[in-house]
Amino acid sequence: MSDCALVTNVSEHDASMDVGSDKSLFEPTVDMMVNDFDDERTLDEEEALAAGEQQDPKAELNSLQKEGDMPLEELLALYGYDRNMEKPIPDQVPEVVPEETERTERAERTERNESALSQLYNENANPEATRCLRSGSRPPSEEEDDYDYSPDEEDWKKTIMVGSDYQAAIPEGLCSYDDALPYENEDKLLWNPSILDERITEEYMRKVCALNLGTGIELIPKGKQLRDDEEALYLLQQCGHNAEEALRRKRISAQTPPHASLWSEEECRNFENGLKAHGKDFHLIRQNKVRTRSVGELVQFYYIWKKTERHDIFANKARLEKKKYTLHPGHTDYMDRFLEEQEASGGSVVRPASPSPMMDYATSPVTQPDPLALGEKEVFSQLNTHNTPPRAMSTEEPEADTGP
Amino acid sequence: MSMQPHSKKRVCYYYDSDIGNYYYGQGHPMKPHRIRMTHNLLLNYGLYRKMEIYRPHKATADEMTKFHSDDYIRFLRSIRPDNVSEYNKQMQRFNVGEDCPVFDGLYEFCQLSAGGSVAAAVKLNKQASEICINWGGGLHHAKKSEASGFCYVNDIVLGILELLKYHQRVLYIDIDVHHGDGVEEAFYTTDRVMTVSFHKYGEYFPGTGDLRDIGAGKGKYYAVNIPLRDGMDDESYESIFVPIISKVMETFQPSAVVLQCGADSLTGDRLGCFNLTVRGHGRCVELVKRFGLPFLLVGGGGYTIRNVSRCWTYETSVALGVEIANELPYNDYFEYFGPDFKLHISPSNMSNQNTPEYLEKIKNRLFENLRMLPHAPGVQVQAIPEDAVNDESDDEDKIDKDERLPQSDKDKRIANDGELSDSEDEGDGRRDNRAYRAPQRKRPRLDKEPLQIKDDLKPDDMKDDVKNVSNAEESKKDMPPNP
Repeated sequence: MSDCALVTNVSEHDASMDVGSDKSLFEPTVDMMVNDFDDERTLDEEEALAAGEQQDPKAELNSLQKEGDMPLEELLALYGYDRNMEKPIPDQVPEVVPEETERTERAERTERNESALSQLYNENANPEATRCLRSGSRPPSEEEDDYDYSPDEEDWKKTIMVGSDYQAAIPEGLCSYDDALPYENEDKLLWNPSILDERITEEYMRKVCALNLGTGIELIPKGKQLRDDEEALYLLQQCGHNAEEALRRKRISAQTPPHASLWSEEECRNFENGLKAHGKDFHLIRQNKVRTRSVGELVQFYYIWKKTERHDIFANKARLEKKKYTLHPGHTDYMDRFLEEQEASGGSVVRPASPSPMMDYATSPVTQPDPLALGEKEVFSQLNTHNTPPRAMSTEEPEADTGP
Repeated sequence: MSMQPHSKKRVCYYYDSDIGNYYYGQGHPMKPHRIRMTHNLLLNYGLYRKMEIYRPHKATADEMTKFHSDDYIRFLRSIRPDNVSEYNKQMQRFNVGEDCPVFDGLYEFCQLSAGGSVAAAVKLNKQASEICINWGGGLHHAKKSEASGFCYVNDIVLGILELLKYHQRVLYIDIDVHHGDGVEEAFYTTDRVMTVSFHKYGEYFPGTGDLRDIGAGKGKYYAVNIPLRDGMDDESYESIFVPIISKVMETFQPSAVVLQCGADSLTGDRLGCFNLTVRGHGRCVELVKRFGLPFLLVGGGGYTIRNVSRCWTYETSVALGVEIANELPYNDYFEYFGPDFKLHISPSNMSNQNTPEYLEKIKNRLFENLRMLPHAPGVQVQAIPEDAVNDESDDEDKIDKDERLPQSDKDKRIANDGELSDSEDEGDGRRDNRAYRAPQRKRPRLDKEPLQIKDDLKPDDMKDDVKNVSNAEESKKDMPPNP
């Protein structure tokens, strides 16, 4: 410890030469003085500062290590304690940080009010405690000169950082909005439940449901689970909550084929080939295999596809191929991971045959039990129509009125 | 409908149908798709039509830099999978690359997540809603200038900053299995936001959240950390959650609450190590809701996606005060919910390493800290009229839903919302806790929060609410589906 004390003057001198500008950071602001600021803050700022200077602590550790091995005379010489001040000071002495830390700590120790809890916290904030900075490095404190540096036993611990680089700036006081929102872009209201009586809404949805079935065998269990159709509700909203009008528009649009694009067999095949080649890197799959779709569409398709028979067939085939070509680094890696994940997610009971009705692939759509057939339909409708309803519909919503 | 309309809260729900299409990368546990799965369940349960639905705006860089540094947001805006090689240095600096990969549409994803939470906060500020939900938000690890733990932009911090425009004190509660370090750090030195995080602590990401981390400067005692061990079950969780939150409400007296509902604290989570069921997790939502404060619910972690969507669906129903059947309705992702196709899940038989003694010790220590609060800097003592502390329930239900309140009315509500509403109490011991309260504790008041008494008491409504909630608890069996 006495060594450290001796060093203080000298390195302070260094500081003014080397990193003089940093010093300003340690001056208490008026705010701090007026508001009886918790002085631990300064300490944390030190740590923050040290953490910011990623290189320094390491260099420092090295130099400290070196110093530890030096004979005392040499060490004193190194710090110019042989009174030959003209001796050049080696450039690896970024000693400012620990020194400053030491000083602030000392100041703190005298000033501190000693409630049990604040003591507890101080232990905590003291760099001596077994905690490390988020960066994994930590500024050496003077105490470390006394023993060999050993990596922290509790390496996983991290510290909340204090300083203007970390905290949010909180505007003073309260304020109130005028009519303008505090941001430019608008939130789009898609449905407001408070306008219509709930029964009217439900009635409307039942009618829409019936419309959707069209020619349909009335398989949808009425009354039981009435699925909310967000598109239909949005339409109702757009029609000023006039159910009649909404239904009229709905009828017109029901006659035109769904505009959202179905996946063609070719796209599906390309998608699967892409999956084989690139794993679930949808960016690459899009780039190299399915250029007709956005990455987002691929992801959406994937989540439906992976619960279909088509996926099962794909996975089985992939497994077989894997057996044949045991080592095929680039590719097997992806497939391994893919298959592992599939296994992890476990087999399931109900599987729609394929993700898209456009695929003449679907093996046995009719022979399936009812809920399954329904399921398939649902899956398709999700893929084909429930796709981003509002944004796609936007202002020219009645675009479906193509054939008056 | 089994519910009386009055017991219901106006709930706003923020969702963008694109959110499920963002993909972190092969093998990455964070799957935005879970938000779409949740959404699909809400539709099929018929909960969608009961909420005000918004597609949130995309938060602009300007909005995000209310918290984040300009450099960092500029970086997020420029980085793409096809130009990562040009950004090696910055990627290191901002911790983007490994846990937080660069994926297609990364920035847009952040915009939507943040846009939802900010919009929700504004909605609450305008008193146009009592509860707002953004399951696409809750990304609590993001730091001012650093991505962390799958989070890039901290929508929660942005949301809370927005709430602070209208609320003198905002409470943040985090029930993710991971410590809510990003939010805690952002508000570590302020006494206007109290952050309370329940999390696994000990050799676990992110490594912060020690019991002894209590805030700094003016914010000393305004960070509350509840470090937990593996295997927390519903019972243990509630045994610590209830007293802590009640005490926090009592001493901090917030006028708005944000609850991060990270679902990785559920049993069987791919990354988590707790043993909560959907019911136990949702219980926290229920308990916080009972305080009747403006309430923002956000998502968060959650890596076994079928359970995440179960959980957030259930919690949406809790927010709405509507019971939903245990039998899952058919939905687009029905196959994911096999083999039982039920809403609720069972705990595993893992051992709970949180002994009652351990929890008791933590609780007592935290109570000690909370007792320091009234003397904390920033809480000035100011006399308030005797009649100011009145325990009545909120009366939001009576207010016309589309009407913007005049400022005076608004003030009245803000002031009153800060009070504990006793009539909502129900057998969880909170009523008793009130006795601890320092005799007529003086609360700081701003000029903008004049105290007034609400004239229209509506205890009946609250009783209804409570009754229905407890019904929901008791009905472990399938309830008849909503018509």
